[in-house]
Amino acid sequence: MTKLYNDPADFREELIEGFVAAYGRFVRRVPGASGVMALDAPRPGKVALVIGGGSGHYPAFCGYVGPGLAAAAVMGNVFAAPSAEQVYRVTKAVASDAGVLYCYGNYSGDVLNFDMAELRCQEEGIDVRTVRVTDDVASAPRGQEDERRGIAGDFFVFKIAGAAAARGDSLDEVERLARKANARTRSFGVAFGGCTLPGQSAPLFTVEPGRMELGLGVHGEPGVQSSHMRPAREIADLLLDALLADAPPDAGSTVAVLLNGLGATQYEEMFVLYKDVHRRLLAEGLSPYKPIVNEMVTSLDMAGCSLTLCWLDEELTPLLDAPCASAAYINC
Amino acid sequence: MGSSEIAVAVVRRWLALALEVITAHEEELGRLDAAAGDGDHGATMVRGLRAANAAVEKMSDGAGRLLIEAGAAFSDASGGASGALIGALLSSAGRVLDDGPFDTATATKALQAGLSMVMRLGKAQPGDKTLVDALKPFVDALAAQPADQPLLAAWRAALPAAQAGAAATREMVAKRGRSAKLGERSLGHADPGATSLVYLLQAMETALAEECG
Repeated sequence: MTKLYNDPADFREELIEGFVAAYGRFVRRVPGASGVMALDAPRPGKVALVIGGGSGHYPAFCGYVGPGLAAAAVMGNVFAAPSAEQVYRVTKAVASDAGVLYCYGNYSGDVLNFDMAELRCQEEGIDVRTVRVTDDVASAPRGQEDERRGIAGDFFVFKIAGAAAARGDSLDEVERLARKANARTRSFGVAFGGCTLPGQSAPLFTVEPGRMELGLGVHGEPGVQSSHMRPAREIADLLLDALLADAPPDAGSTVAVLLNGLGATQYEEMFVLYKDVHRRLLAEGLSPYKPIVNEMVTSLDMAGCSLTLCWLDEELTPLLDAPCASAAYINC
Repeated sequence: MGSSEIAVAVVRRWLALALEVITAHEEELGRLDAAAGDGDHGATMVRGLRAANAAVEKMSDGAGRLLIEAGAAFSDASGGASGALIGALLSSAGRVLDDGPFDTATATKALQAGLSMVMRLGKAQPGDKTLVDALKPFVDALAAQPADQPLLAAWRAALPAAQAGAAATREMVAKRGRSAKLGERSLGHADPGATSLVYLLQAMETALAEECG
């Protein structure tokens, strides 16, 4: 249940105001637009990474704006893509001579609106490229990777693209690295309970007691398969089976790991699950690199979690390690 | 009243009625959307229509211009795929309507332009379980009416095609949009976009009846 709101229609606006009031040391409001930008944006000579999507997923997306990460985040209403007009305004506020990279989860509403904004910016001579995050293996089979939706894998792709942009890489290079990070990132999730939109009295969907939904989406879309509830160690295997079967072709043995909470699952439960995830990774001959057990891309008050692996190499690892500072993620 | 003043009155009345009827069905549209999506279609439509009504309130332009601005305001306030598509539908239709004659032939051309823009942007084909499944049968039925038929009569004659099209989405599996990720789970529920489009078309019938009936 989402409990804290005034008029549900004002939810986005009020959350932006509160976020900027709290984290003014990282971001400021984009004037006249539904979004926030890094204090040092626009950064001359550096590619501007613009991320965004619907609200309801904090820390995605505004929590990842700051030095070494995104230059700006465009914020839509709860679970609705931002309009093309808002994407355009935010882009104009942070675009530099080095160009702009759009990075967001692959949902039709986001694609439509970001594409329309990209076209408008191109017509004005701003070089904009797009990399869509497509990490959720449950949303389309192998061979149709481009059709997959983006979930918690957003985080690794944003981090790597943001670091490349901060390093001063060209737009071609930032785009290439973001694409590479996405191509090597896979996620799979499990849900135990639905989420409720602000102002609504019932959740979008419910999970029967004693059951769980596999392949959930971050918008509370029902999962693609239902199963009886299992012990954590079996869930660890279930998640890893799905990811390892889908490992990218050029996978090495070092993997960045994110066990991501969806909003209403406790950290301590997730550590219990992570213990078995970690052991299984080692048993598979993989080296977990700086694992993260945290809420990085949520879905309001949804119960559940997802596991993300990003197969690293000598090019991606330093970018993941590069310093950054934002409201939700600081690396130093 | 001349033809262009009638057109302005119809567009304004339609926007007001559309907001009324969609508000009355907000929960139903949300429920349909929740079957395979995120349940916000009703709220999104209401938000868009409120903004569209506000945008035209102080304008003194022709009907085409009103629709163009209403479409832009709708898209910006709604966001999402449906916001972009319905806004584009209004704006494209407005560009054709401009300040030309307000009759069946022009309305048909305006809606054909809107339909082709929606299909181009949304990359949706008939049968994909989207608003196209209600809009395209309607536009085709309108185009099949005698060109000299008064607009109200032609609109009325075309409406059942939209209703049948929306009803048929119940038997379809979503192929576009977020619900497409759920494949078979969308079966058995009408598409919320097609359903709300029928309400919009019905609101226009009422507006036409009031202003030129």
